[in-house]
Amino acid sequence: MIQFSKVSKWYGEYQALVDVTAEVKQGEVVVVCGPSGSGKSTLIRTVNRLETIQAGEITVDGTSVHQATLNLNRFRSRVGFVFQQFNLFPHLSALDNVCLAPMKAAGKNRKDAKRQALALLDRVGLASKANSYPQQLSGGQQQRVAIARALAMEPPVMLFDEPTSALDPEMVGEVLNVMKSLARDGMTMMCVTHEMGFAREVSDSVWFMDRGAILEVADPQTFFRSPEHPRAQAFLSDLRH
Amino acid sequence: MLLHLDFASIFAAPNLKHLMWGVQYTALLTLASWVIAVALGTVMATLRAMGNPVIERFVAGYVAYHQNVPMLAQLFLWYFGFPTLLPDSAQGWINAHGGEFIFASVAIGLCMAAYYSEDIRSGLRAVSAGQHEAARSLGLSFAKSMRYVILPQSFRIAMPPFINHTVVLFKNTSLAMAIGVAELTYTVRDIENQTFRTFEIYLVGTLIYLAISLGLMGVGAAVARHTRIPAK
Amino acid sequence: MLDILTQNAHFLLLGQYPSGPIGGLALTLILALLGLAFAIPLSLLLALCRVSPYRVLSVPSTVLVYIVRGVPLVMLVFWSYFLVPGLIGHLVSAFTTLVVTLVIYQAAYLSEIVRAGIESLPTGQTESARSLGMSYGSTMRHVILPQALYNMLPSILSQCVSTVKDTSIGYVISVQELTFSAQQINASLLTRPFQVFLVLALVYFAVCYTLTRCVQGVERRISRRRASGKMSNVRSLINDSVLQS
Repeated sequence: MIQFSKVSKWYGEYQALVDVTAEVKQGEVVVVCGPSGSGKSTLIRTVNRLETIQAGEITVDGTSVHQATLNLNRFRSRVGFVFQQFNLFPHLSALDNVCLAPMKAAGKNRKDAKRQALALLDRVGLASKANSYPQQLSGGQQQRVAIARALAMEPPVMLFDEPTSALDPEMVGEVLNVMKSLARDGMTMMCVTHEMGFAREVSDSVWFMDRGAILEVADPQTFFRSPEHPRAQAFLSDLRH
Repeated sequence: MLLHLDFASIFAAPNLKHLMWGVQYTALLTLASWVIAVALGTVMATLRAMGNPVIERFVAGYVAYHQNVPMLAQLFLWYFGFPTLLPDSAQGWINAHGGEFIFASVAIGLCMAAYYSEDIRSGLRAVSAGQHEAARSLGLSFAKSMRYVILPQSFRIAMPPFINHTVVLFKNTSLAMAIGVAELTYTVRDIENQTFRTFEIYLVGTLIYLAISLGLMGVGAAVARHTRIPAK
Repeated sequence: MLDILTQNAHFLLLGQYPSGPIGGLALTLILALLGLAFAIPLSLLLALCRVSPYRVLSVPSTVLVYIVRGVPLVMLVFWSYFLVPGLIGHLVSAFTTLVVTLVIYQAAYLSEIVRAGIESLPTGQTESARSLGMSYGSTMRHVILPQALYNMLPSILSQCVSTVKDTSIGYVISVQELTFSAQQINASLLTRPFQVFLVLALVYFAVCYTLTRCVQGVERRISRRRASGKMSNVRSLINDSVLQS
């Protein structure tokens, strides 16, 4: 589904992504982890072209992401993205947040969009908050609305950029539960996260990154029990303390 | 000092008619200047948001000039100075078609455009980059994300200073009396010259200005309240 | 255009001084300074009245401020022109009239800025001062006003720059400030209004822009002091509606 082929990115002199080659297969859940500054957020942001690349190729469902002739808006509507800071639209209610893109980018009429939005809000457990505004919701609730908003365009693949890092600890669980149910339903997911419990429970593959390069790719059981790369070992032992 | 107030003579025709004409001219001048100011201000703020350094410096210079030169001096430059740069035929046409009003609208409009563009600009800057990213990530085009996500938010943020500057624009129309536009202040002075009832006519003029200013502020507050983004 | 400057520089900048009264830019600056010298203390008084819990103080001061904010400056100038001699009992010069008008006008606007500064401080400041046993006046003088004025310094200074621009209203009552002087030059030259008024605009621009840049410098220094953690108790005033005119 998502293919990285020798992807490199520079910020001026600094190389943020070093020759990244990897694949997220259809239906797979991939967790990308690593110390801060390792390039994991940069990597995931290149998939929907929030960041550019200077070398290599990224394809999503056969479409090359960084070619000049790409219809960017249509492509992005096929890739769901969930931000660390939620980025809900404060001037719209939760329902309107979810309805906006289906109506304005996909051309759905208001009735259909509303029906679908309510169903999605129900799926993330927030049907009762449809008319609330983002500022009136807790962080966990906002992030769940953000997930519903991303799902509204019915994308075949979902990207999560540290979705729980900005949440108070007691709200992390409610968001992870939504993500787990998505995974169990067969969604192709790429998640940058520190939540190792989530990785262990639902992911099919763990990518460990450091300094812009993928140093280890393993299934969760192997990775958490006995990582091969020394930096991965150091990272995991740091996490445990 | 002024115990014998005589409002009757200032309201007698033709003074009342003059007064009404004065109010009308003020309203027209306000409207004309406002349209110019909002249109030009929006264009400049949008141009500035595009990031081209040449445009940025031009707009910055425009704003700096209009915010640091008094309105009266700008009016004089436009009304007395600018026509001499035009060919004689153009000057003739302008003089025959209410030149004072045209130049007053242009001068006030261009001046307030600087203030409006700054208001819009700070409104745009107050919307976080994450909002742009979220909107574009959903597949909304640049134009659509501006229209449905960014501009609605920046508009609401820019409302209070925008309303205040609109009241300033309205008050600035009174300066047009210095170039002979027969707006309210000019008319008040005229009637005072005719009737010598200084206190009464100035009181009426002041009350009219106050009513409209306070009205504008009130309307603005109502609009701001109605469209405000709900808080916690 | 340059020759207009060189030939009339003295008149534009100094008026007829020393062989006559001061005029031009010098008079403009004197008017601004004099106006501010009286307006600033008056604005503090007005602001305190507006935030006062006593309605006998807050209502009249609020009414005054709204009137001054709602009426154009030119009308206020004409009011002073007619009222001040009536109140005092004898004629006053246009200069005095203008100063009185500027004082009242700037005091009203400055009082709004000061009031915004006072109201933006956390209530905890007043509460802790009063809990220590300080009186209302003492709290204001030693705790609230110093912080409020420091926080609002850029806005206060901006208003001072605006005062320089507002002196141009003296034109309508024939005060010999910069704008009136330029008009006199234009009346004598007659054939070059564009150059004369362009010079006028550029002189104002030079003065006000320089002052504005100084204000921005002050603002930067205040931000730096804040960022270093020395002033940590200020709520954002970015879009305070009062300050925007």
